[in-house]
Amino acid sequence: MSQQPEKDKNFVPARRSFLQGGLTAAGGAAVAAIGGGAALAAGTPDPAITELKDWNQYSGPGVDAAPYGVPSPFESDVVRRNVPWLTADPISSINFTPLHELDGIITPNGLCFERHHSGVAEVDPAEHRLMINGLVDKPLVFTMQDLMRFPRENRVYFLECAANSGMEWRGAQLNGCQFTHGMLHNVMYTGVRLRTLLEEAGVKPSGKWILAEGADASGMGRSIPIEKALDDCLVAFKMNGEALRPEQGYPVRLCVPGWEGNMWVKWLRRIEVGDKPWQLREETSKYTDLMPDGRARRFTWAMDVKSVITNPSPQAPVTHGRGHTIITGVAWSGHGKIKRVDVSIDGGRNWQHARIDGPSLSRSLHRFYYEFNWDGSPLYLQSRAIDEHGYVQPTKDALRAARGDNSIYHNNGIQTWYLKTNGEAENVEVS
Amino acid sequence: MSKFLKFTASIVLLGSAWATNANAQDADAGEKVFRKCAACHAVGEGAKNKVGPELNEIFGRVAGSHEDFKYSKAMIKAGEEGLVWDHDSLTEYLAKPRAFVKGTRMAFGGLKKDDEIANVIAYLATFSSSAEQAAAEPAPAPTGASGGDTAPVETAQAPAANAADAVIPEHGVYHLGREALPEEVAAWDIDVRPDGVGLPVGSGTVADGGVLYDDNCAVCHGVFGEGEGRWPVLSGGFGTLTADRPVKTIGSYWPFASTIFDYVHRAMPFGNARSLDADQTYAITAYLLYLNDIVTDEDFELSNETFSEISLPNEENFYPDDRLDEANFDTNVEPCMENCGDGPAEIVMRARILDVTPDGDDESGAGGID
Repeated sequence: MSQQPEKDKNFVPARRSFLQGGLTAAGGAAVAAIGGGAALAAGTPDPAITELKDWNQYSGPGVDAAPYGVPSPFESDVVRRNVPWLTADPISSINFTPLHELDGIITPNGLCFERHHSGVAEVDPAEHRLMINGLVDKPLVFTMQDLMRFPRENRVYFLECAANSGMEWRGAQLNGCQFTHGMLHNVMYTGVRLRTLLEEAGVKPSGKWILAEGADASGMGRSIPIEKALDDCLVAFKMNGEALRPEQGYPVRLCVPGWEGNMWVKWLRRIEVGDKPWQLREETSKYTDLMPDGRARRFTWAMDVKSVITNPSPQAPVTHGRGHTIITGVAWSGHGKIKRVDVSIDGGRNWQHARIDGPSLSRSLHRFYYEFNWDGSPLYLQSRAIDEHGYVQPTKDALRAARGDNSIYHNNGIQTWYLKTNGEAENVEVS
Repeated sequence: MSKFLKFTASIVLLGSAWATNANAQDADAGEKVFRKCAACHAVGEGAKNKVGPELNEIFGRVAGSHEDFKYSKAMIKAGEEGLVWDHDSLTEYLAKPRAFVKGTRMAFGGLKKDDEIANVIAYLATFSSSAEQAAAEPAPAPTGASGGDTAPVETAQAPAANAADAVIPEHGVYHLGREALPEEVAAWDIDVRPDGVGLPVGSGTVADGGVLYDDNCAVCHGVFGEGEGRWPVLSGGFGTLTADRPVKTIGSYWPFASTIFDYVHRAMPFGNARSLDADQTYAITAYLLYLNDIVTDEDFELSNETFSEISLPNEENFYPDDRLDEANFDTNVEPCMENCGDGPAEIVMRARILDVTPDGDDESGAGGID
């Protein structure tokens, strides 16, 4: 009877109890989900209107009830989630941004996915230093106060883990865009250009690479070519206006716009300038791409053009039945701005242009919408992004044809959601 | 003359740093002394102005400047004339308030004993981040025969009592930060490159490494490097890189032995990083090479001298990113918009894991991402 999809119970318990609460209030009146607004029998007054609610009658908490505000309790299911079997231990693991619960382009700070290699370092900013050493005229040490006295910039950038969608290389596996695409966030950073700091120390002509190193117990380190370091890398201490969250590298992290998230070293404490790459663990045994011939690509830094429909998706079914329906999602490219997003509802046979709304910034998420009149028939939903250089998001089959089945990283293939007649969506691949 | 001025400045700065050091004075005793003040002044979390202003962050505060407090004209004037609360000014003020700032509304007669003054200032310092910072980092005393001329002044993080007294370094464009000392660079710069740059002096044998490995590493990585659970497999996997399920280990996949040394030295054992010294790290690295048949003699000793003899078999199989050569990156192809593909789309694959529930059972799936 209920059109609330069965699987929904796994993902949105709060919403379910909310609906059940509504049922109780309606005195057990049958709720037919299909048709949404017509949930009540014609002519039956809506108790949401006719009944006096507590919040209509009684005063709520005053100011300062929550000195640092938190979301409504009705949004309690909007949280990061992990998949325990992916990694050995939560100390060195990952969780995922709930993309299907978000809109616009900015990811709220508390929902930005986490990836740690030795847990969240709790760093006292008064005891944090950033050192620049190696092939420089004068090795320098900065306090946080020193850093904040350099000219600041505000930039919106996406951060995507190179392994985002990595579990899907061999085929559809996880049911939910939070899990297939949620190693992704988009934040406005405030910080200082790395270039400015390097110029303060004076890079010697022989300096061709930098090593960025974190203060956490994994001593996270990545080699970055000097051209990128002097281009758009940002040493950031604010995210979306407030201090970085501890899990995002408080008090200071590196932003490497458009490049894989592993390079965005958190708890940044040292930049070394050298003449060669360091070949550390995260750029040799990890974050290299094993090809079908057994050889491996290395230094595959840029994140390619990509998009995903966030709604509907397996965690966000259509509950209103046929009629006017909104498809929305996000698109991004590590190479620049998104020029266009196409949407297909028939598994890639025919495509329509989606509407991009909100800021269109280089190396930032773009929000797209496609509105249509759903007749209730099953659909295969896909999105395809094209960036300003003309790079087109490929199909998963095209990626496998080029790279085989043993890759993990850099899966930017087109995602398909199978929208069923009951409004449920499932992660599938189509011919 | 100028030499004398410089000397005085150093002494004052050092004096401030020491005076606010909670170890030198007794902040706990100061808390008791503060009871004499508490009728009019609050300090600590949630402190608000009372008869007198609240005293959080009093260190470095310009006199008469708490924006929500109504001061005497005298106190405001004192601030305008440059009075900033620090150890020295508070010491004088608390001894004889009305003599130090004539016309202050503070009716308190003053603290009689020097140690009471010192202790209450130490107590107040615990609620001032700038004073705490100075206390946490007393200017290091010059050591050895390396001159130690202006270093103490340059390294002091305490804000100058007067902005004009701040020392501006000569380096760079913005003259910010300070020169890193060689000991500081040495403390942090422990990275090791494939060409051996960065290797510390030291050595360790395969046999020594085996003992250390069993004690420190085997619990996660397995006795033979086979990996427990989903912890990384460190050995074996030879010839699997083209197989359906490649096993990427030190021997089968890693390009450089320097990566082992660097990673073990900086990040292992998991949960107790930086606890292995150079000799221990050489020994464990030697043992990992042994587990992977890179060296075969249990007496083999790996050291900064012998390191260059080691190379890993898969080194030559890495090449730079050439993604842009893939057909997927051809920007001359307009994507198909209508009637693409052969016939209607059909499902060829469905999600393996249908319910990725937050509290679900420990389902096992393929394609981990560690």
